[in-house]
Amino acid sequence: MLELKDIRLSYGSTQVLNGVNLSVKRGDVASIIGPSGTGKTTLLKCINYLAKPSSGTIAFDQIQMDYQHADKTAIQAIRLRTAMVFQQFNVFKNMTVIQNVMDPLVVVQRKSREEAREIALRELERVGLSSKQDSYPSQLSGGQLQRTGIARALAVRPDVMLFDEPTSSLDPELVGEVLKVIKDVTSSGITSLLVTHEMQFAKSISNRIIFMDRGVVAADGSPTEIFDSPSSLRLAQFLNSEHSLQ
Amino acid sequence: MFDTDILLQDSREILGAVPVTLAMAFTTFVLSTIVGSLFALVEYRRIPVLRELVFAYKVVFKGVPMVIVIFLAYFGLPPALQFLLSSAGINFNAHETPNWVILVLAVTGCVAAFQAEIIKGALNAFDIGQSDAAYSLGYTSGQLFRRVLFPQVALTAIPDLTTSMMVIMKALSLGFAIEVVDIFAQSQLTAALNFYYLEAFVIAVVIYMVIAYIVTQIADRLEQALRVRT
Ligand SMILES: Nc1ncnc2c1ncn2[C@@H]1O[C@H](COP(=O)(O)OP(=O)(O)O)[C@@H](O)[C@H]1O
Ligand SMILES: [Mg+2]
Repeated sequence: MLELKDIRLSYGSTQVLNGVNLSVKRGDVASIIGPSGTGKTTLLKCINYLAKPSSGTIAFDQIQMDYQHADKTAIQAIRLRTAMVFQQFNVFKNMTVIQNVMDPLVVVQRKSREEAREIALRELERVGLSSKQDSYPSQLSGGQLQRTGIARALAVRPDVMLFDEPTSSLDPELVGEVLKVIKDVTSSGITSLLVTHEMQFAKSISNRIIFMDRGVVAADGSPTEIFDSPSSLRLAQFLNSEHSLQ
Repeated sequence: MFDTDILLQDSREILGAVPVTLAMAFTTFVLSTIVGSLFALVEYRRIPVLRELVFAYKVVFKGVPMVIVIFLAYFGLPPALQFLLSSAGINFNAHETPNWVILVLAVTGCVAAFQAEIIKGALNAFDIGQSDAAYSLGYTSGQLFRRVLFPQVALTAIPDLTTSMMVIMKALSLGFAIEVVDIFAQSQLTAALNFYYLEAFVIAVVIYMVIAYIVTQIADRLEQALRVRT
């Protein structure tokens, strides 16, 4: 359903993505792992054009785009069918929890406030934030902020969810509550791409693991293939270093 | 020490200048905030060429004493305006531009440089990750501005913008130099007739203080009302 071909991107003189190929099937839960600074965040952002590749193509079901001729209609169509959860949460600070979830429905999808409210209440229930619906972001913990971010993303009914290290900015004791929500989301069958350093978690929820290294996809396979019989020295070293961190 | 009759009579006269002063201050505030916002956006968005122009503008208008800017505007603005209008084929006698208009424009020119700094600071304090989130959800840049950016930037800027309002009130007293009668100028005039200088200026000070108090109160309320929401 989603296919990226030969994505290249550089910031100034640093090549960040050096020809990434990636295809995702409907229902895939694919975890992207790899060393810091490898371009994992950048790759996710290429999908919704928050990062602008210099070349490459994207196909999202029937939507096709060549990044050299980026076209607004295609970008918007892709944005309307994906939703992203950010490492830094990025909730809107001037809105309450429920307003954060409702706003895209009202502003972008032009739903009535009543309908938006109904959907928002349902999603907040799902992430366990019903009791905090009228709180402002300044009054919330990191875990609650991230669950707000997830509810906001779910509420737009995306075909693909993009998670960018959703627990990396959290205090250790708050990681669990967010992972639990993500597990619930991915097991509901929604196609997901998840950048993470939580190896055990990735193994338990994913049907695919993608190892990114130095701006390319260096390995791609089932959790068993990747974790139990790493195909390259770099991958083995990376898994080792992650393992010793945990 | 003070003669009550004189105080009462002077107060009535000087208070008469309050509405005009407030009207000029408010106009200047609105205009300078608009111009300052545009300058700040130019710098925030790093628009080439315009950005350098804004920078040069700020150096000039922050550096040159306001009273000089007022005199320059007084002597330079009408002929310049006349020239522009007549070359655009509009028949209008710019030499009859009222002095208070010239004063408002001159003070606006100066204060806009400061407003630009305030708004630029508030823009820089905006957490840019929220823009990523909005775009990823399909917001247009206009929707991002209305729903997310503006409410937050306005809130951050309010305290400093209030200070600007007081700066403007005080700057308008320089209008005396070009015969615009504000609170200060009126107290000058009143005192010049009856020679009770101290009385007149004490009254002016009290009026300025009351206005400062009211403006600060309004800003505090406004800020609190908005603050609950972040
Ligand atoms: N907006 C940017 N401007 C310049 N360099 C960037 C920007 N975003 C990311 N980079 C650089 O690109 C590289 C890849 O970043 P990123 O995609 O965030 O890696 P990862 O998510 O794998 O840690 C890093 O070296 C980072 O410093
Ligand atoms: Mg990253």
